Amino acid sequence: MQNALLIGLSRQMTLERQMDVIANNVANVNTNGFKADHSLFEEYLNSNAHEDNFVGSDRRVSYVQDRGTYRDVGQGPMEATNNPLDMAISGNAFFAVQVNGAERYTRDGKFALSSTGQLMTSDGNLVLGTGGPIVFQPTDHDINVSPDGTVTVVEGTAKTDSIRGKIRMVTFDDPAKLIKLGANLYDTGSATQQPDTKSTLQQGYVEKSNVNSVGEMSRMVEVMRSYTAIANLLQQQSDLHKSAIEKLADVPA
Amino acid sequence: MQALHTAATGMAAQELNVQVISNNIANLRTTGFKKQTAAFQDLIYEHVRRVGAQASDQGTILPVGVDIGGGVKTVGTPRSMTQGTLSQTGNDLDLAISGEGFFKILMPDGTYQYTRDGTFQMDNQGRVVTAAGNPVQPTITIPNNASGITVNEQGQVTVTLPGSSTNTVLGQIGLTRFINKAGLQPVGSNQFIETTSSGTPQDGTANSEGYGKITQGSLEQANVDVVSEMSDLIAAQRAYEMNAKVISAADQMMQSTTALFR
Repeated sequence: MQNALLIGLSRQMTLERQMDVIANNVANVNTNGFKADHSLFEEYLNSNAHEDNFVGSDRRVSYVQDRGTYRDVGQGPMEATNNPLDMAISGNAFFAVQVNGAERYTRDGKFALSSTGQLMTSDGNLVLGTGGPIVFQPTDHDINVSPDGTVTVVEGTAKTDSIRGKIRMVTFDDPAKLIKLGANLYDTGSATQQPDTKSTLQQGYVEKSNVNSVGEMSRMVEVMRSYTAIANLLQQQSDLHKSAIEKLADVPA
Repeated sequence: MQALHTAATGMAAQELNVQVISNNIANLRTTGFKKQTAAFQDLIYEHVRRVGAQASDQGTILPVGVDIGGGVKTVGTPRSMTQGTLSQTGNDLDLAISGEGFFKILMPDGTYQYTRDGTFQMDNQGRVVTAAGNPVQPTITIPNNASGITVNEQGQVTVTLPGSSTNTVLGQIGLTRFINKAGLQPVGSNQFIETTSSGTPQDGTANSEGYGKITQGSLEQANVDVVSEMSDLIAAQRAYEMNAKVISAADQMMQSTTALFR
């Protein structure tokens, strides 16, 4: 008799978590380089909850539980900023950055300079080049980043370009395995990395969030409706209980 | 319900985004203004089920985890230091920089401030000063009987004095650049001050060693692009609305639970 209640509860709990995931996507609709998450659910069969008092085949009670959140690693839209230090990756690669001595990865290409001319993220983490951090000289101007990540500048009165390094782009066998650390950063997790050769870099652009707002809104309505539908179901179940008890206990005088 | 708080961080972020955009639009006609953009980052994740964890005694490894994010935070409002367009004014003391560098201004307290706004005037002593009356460095004093003030691309100021057939060089307006000019701190009045992140100021001569050239009779307009600001504004407003919708949906879900078994 309580199974409907418990099943409903298991679904409501997962719906609540799905709502949290949707809320996080919507909150990050303007976050540079953000990749949307989606919830996955699976059936959980409870072997102890057999109902074998009926004629006909047994049906096992099936609950629902989270299986995981998978990441939409698709390309986000590119926004032109005209800022020479803004870079967007077109392809599957990630920028490598140094955070507290460890290497982390990001798709957020809104970069800035430190007071010593090092290229870094908005958070002050160094952006890594193929030969270490990229450092500019005080008299550098006309920064140019080529699609393969080579950074060239004109230094002072020089007539020819000087190379300041090459932005390191890395790719992963399965980017969905990367662990989100917050602050637009990813940890390698169980994914294996190799240098990227296919992706191209666009200077003067930033990659926006790949959250599909229409999709998120419709999913949100769906979650909300399912949740309230289950609440109704639980209500009806409880009413049924109540009337059954009342009717059965109603001893005729 | 986490979704409520998550959406609240989203609304706060978009509110700040609108603030930054409205400041850009308000300064659309401000000489030498450099626009800002709000930059956001996701908050830390709660790993309900960690990816790569062992799922069974047989050694099954979870291919995906359950990661629930906590929303969004503002990481900064970086300034875009791109060149603004020059507009001609015809005033002798209106100067614009095309390229790197800032005018160096001596403040009354002896400190220096830096600006791209070249709307200069003469004060009662004939000094070239900003609209607020603070002298441009190095100080140039123009005699009151001088005519034909000319500032060349290197910032050299020459005048014609009465009774003289040749031009007299009065001095040279210098430029200052920073390795990270986006790290300068705005102090209002179109002026910036040096910070630890901007690096130390390097004084130099205009139109040399990568310093920008000075154009007389022109002013640098704000580098704000109205069309992109308006589209950003709409995007911010819609994002705000979406977050509000998430709050009302989460609220409705909680309501349906509290209404149960009354």
